[in-house]
Amino acid sequence: MIYLDHAATSPPDPAVVTKMLPFLTGRFGNPSEPHALGRQARADLDEARAGIAAALGAQADDVILTGGGTEADNIAVLGRCQGEPGRIVISALEHPAVTRAAESLAARGWTVAIAPVLADGQLDVMALGELVRPGDALACVMAASNVTGVIQPLAEAAAICAHSDVPLHIDAVQAAAGMDLDVGLLPGDVTLAVAAHKLGGPRGVGAVVGPGVRTLEPINHGGGQERGLRSGTENLAGAVALAEALRIRQGDDAPAERERRAALRDDLEQRLALPVAGGAAQRLPGHALLLTAYRGDTVVRLLDERDIAVSAGSACASGDPQPDPVLGAMGIDQTFARGAVRVTLGPTTTPEEIDALVAAWAEIEQGLDAAREASA
Amino acid sequence: MIDLSRAGTIELPDGAGSAGGGRCDDRVRFTLRLEGARLAEVRFGADACASTTAAAAWLAEAAEGRELLDAARLGLADVLAGTTIDSPECALTAVDALHAALGDAVVRGASLAADSHRVGIAMSGGVDSAMVLTGAVEEGHEAVGLTLRLWIDPSAPNPERACCAPSAVRAARDLCHAKGMPHFMLDLREDFRAAVVEPFVAGYAAGETPNPCATCNGSFRFDAIDAVASRLGCSEWRTGHYARLVERDGALLVARGADPDKDQSAMLALVDPAILARVRLPLGERIKRDVVAEAETKGLAAAKTPESQEVCFLGGGELAPFLERQGVELVPGPIVDEEGVELGTHHGAVAFTPGQRRGLGVSRGTDALHVLKVDAPANTVVVATLERLGRREVELRDVRLRVPCDRVGASFRVRAEPIPAAFEAHADGTATLLLDRDAFQVAPGQVAALYDGDCIVAAGVVAG
Repeated sequence: MIYLDHAATSPPDPAVVTKMLPFLTGRFGNPSEPHALGRQARADLDEARAGIAAALGAQADDVILTGGGTEADNIAVLGRCQGEPGRIVISALEHPAVTRAAESLAARGWTVAIAPVLADGQLDVMALGELVRPGDALACVMAASNVTGVIQPLAEAAAICAHSDVPLHIDAVQAAAGMDLDVGLLPGDVTLAVAAHKLGGPRGVGAVVGPGVRTLEPINHGGGQERGLRSGTENLAGAVALAEALRIRQGDDAPAERERRAALRDDLEQRLALPVAGGAAQRLPGHALLLTAYRGDTVVRLLDERDIAVSAGSACASGDPQPDPVLGAMGIDQTFARGAVRVTLGPTTTPEEIDALVAAWAEIEQGLDAAREASA
Repeated sequence: MIDLSRAGTIELPDGAGSAGGGRCDDRVRFTLRLEGARLAEVRFGADACASTTAAAAWLAEAAEGRELLDAARLGLADVLAGTTIDSPECALTAVDALHAALGDAVVRGASLAADSHRVGIAMSGGVDSAMVLTGAVEEGHEAVGLTLRLWIDPSAPNPERACCAPSAVRAARDLCHAKGMPHFMLDLREDFRAAVVEPFVAGYAAGETPNPCATCNGSFRFDAIDAVASRLGCSEWRTGHYARLVERDGALLVARGADPDKDQSAMLALVDPAILARVRLPLGERIKRDVVAEAETKGLAAAKTPESQEVCFLGGGELAPFLERQGVELVPGPIVDEEGVELGTHHGAVAFTPGQRRGLGVSRGTDALHVLKVDAPANTVVVATLERLGRREVELRDVRLRVPCDRVGASFRVRAEPIPAAFEAHADGTATLLLDRDAFQVAPGQVAALYDGDCIVAAGVVAG
């Protein structure tokens, strides 16, 4: 299997697995207990927390471990909106972990303003500046789109929010594997969400990080762990794994690896010669959203039959294919939007795998053209 | 594995058919080339999701090389057994398209050698034809389901009530496939429009009250199915009408069905006797209630589908909006009595039928008023009390005389009590009926079924 769907989830990084394994066997203590095993667990957890903080430019106290990316986003969004209904602003690019949370607020009387996206796939920062008002409870801007991979103007967004004293939440779940993230460089009450499984780590662990966590209110209740924002016995193995994954993906060797990945991606795009969503903007290094003239899920199946895993830009679950709203917001024609195929490379991707995809594409393209022409 | 090697189009095909374009805009098209009765080549086109594309590719492979009848046995269950598909609903689009192409091949003239063992079954997707099919299969016949696709009016209030709605076609096909039998859908929408709907609309526009069911059964549906059944080598064909065939003096006559509440003999009044010779009516001796009960014990899903109704192409709707959808302009005009005194206004004279009381909205004293006459050129509806509607003398045109007769029971509506009458046929194809008592709802364009006892001995169209 040639795996080119790293944006969906990443293959486990052996270094991360090695680091995590002892905590799944002998070092199983509960960090809240005073005995030796508990004290050891506390020390290990503190170390992991410090590692996560260091990788993302945050203070260790400002790291809230969660059960994954979606929970991190929910804690950061809903934890900001526990009082009387007010107003929030979210970008048109957000993942359902943010948009659905916002919809739940709207259902409770909150006003949700949507900041538009430009044709190149970047947030319209001018529009964001006009939308964000003093008194807003929150603004949400994704670090990079999980659909197109386009990197968003975080510094500008943070400056706008800080100027109006509005907290900013950044969903960096997709971005953390492909760009430097330093929450310490951003002004204001910023929170940032990450998840381990996009970084070579396991499912079920993530974090909300940044000075903004200090003013969040809990959305679930229990033993008071994680500043009371995420009660429940800490996932120590997961925390260790997340710290190790971030150390690798955000570390000193990361830029060289990202450059190699971007070169492979650029090579692929050039050889396939298909339109690319957000191709003119700066994108995550291994990310390509190819706009084919066919149906995305048909292409995905044909490549799957050739042992190549990629992902469709839109899902047809109920006989009513909805092109991704992000592509609609970018003004991409529906015919191309429903033909979108997401190819995402990872640190393990090889040039030979790219060759294999190009060869498979050549094999199916002719048949797909014949089928489409004969359909009318 | 989706095999795209049969993606493409056959130039000058022997059959072509498409389906799709609905909510998800999937489109599938098949083209076929026949060598004798064998599908020598099958090509498909698909602009569609993975499930639909996979189904189309699989069907092209499965159908190629098969005999036409065997290809017509391919259905959804085969697709689901033969390939991995997430969404059966999507696969249906591909099955529909293949069957459209197979039906088209038959309409274009594909023919099979005669087989005494093979019978055609006219299928509507409802319970009656399901039982006719089952009976033929139980007798050991090769039963070939034949469903005509005659009319689609998506803007009708309830298009699924039309007798040839897509779901009805699929139901008929599924029934055949469940019995391992072939099914053909014959798309005759263009012909049906020209032969039945346009005369119906034109008749109304001229102020007549045409009976499209008799026209449809009498000269269109029966002709079409008979031609197709012959071409497919069927020794006979069967339909689920509640009517019987009786031989009298060497002539084959349509007679009333055994179920007085469901008798459909009048609908068959115009059917050509030459065709009747090849038709069987297995439900003629049956009571509908018993048929439905038996269908339920046999687990026939069709037993639960709603019955299509008379004038099925109205799609469960009213006449006036249908006429407007067909381009008949309805202009408000006067409702007058026989002296010309204006009593009110109508919304379009041609949408009214002699005898009609409902929807007039006018009164004269305490008299209940009915439509006496529709004067289409003057866009005027003339009303009168019921006794003024009564008439004794009725002129007929297009008369078909099955056996010589001078006394008949005249029926102008399906299941209406026949009125005893003297009958005199003229040499020019017209005839005169002298009724023993008043008939109140006789309108030009209606079909008069003329009975002697239970048998239809003559029929004609009311001229004036």
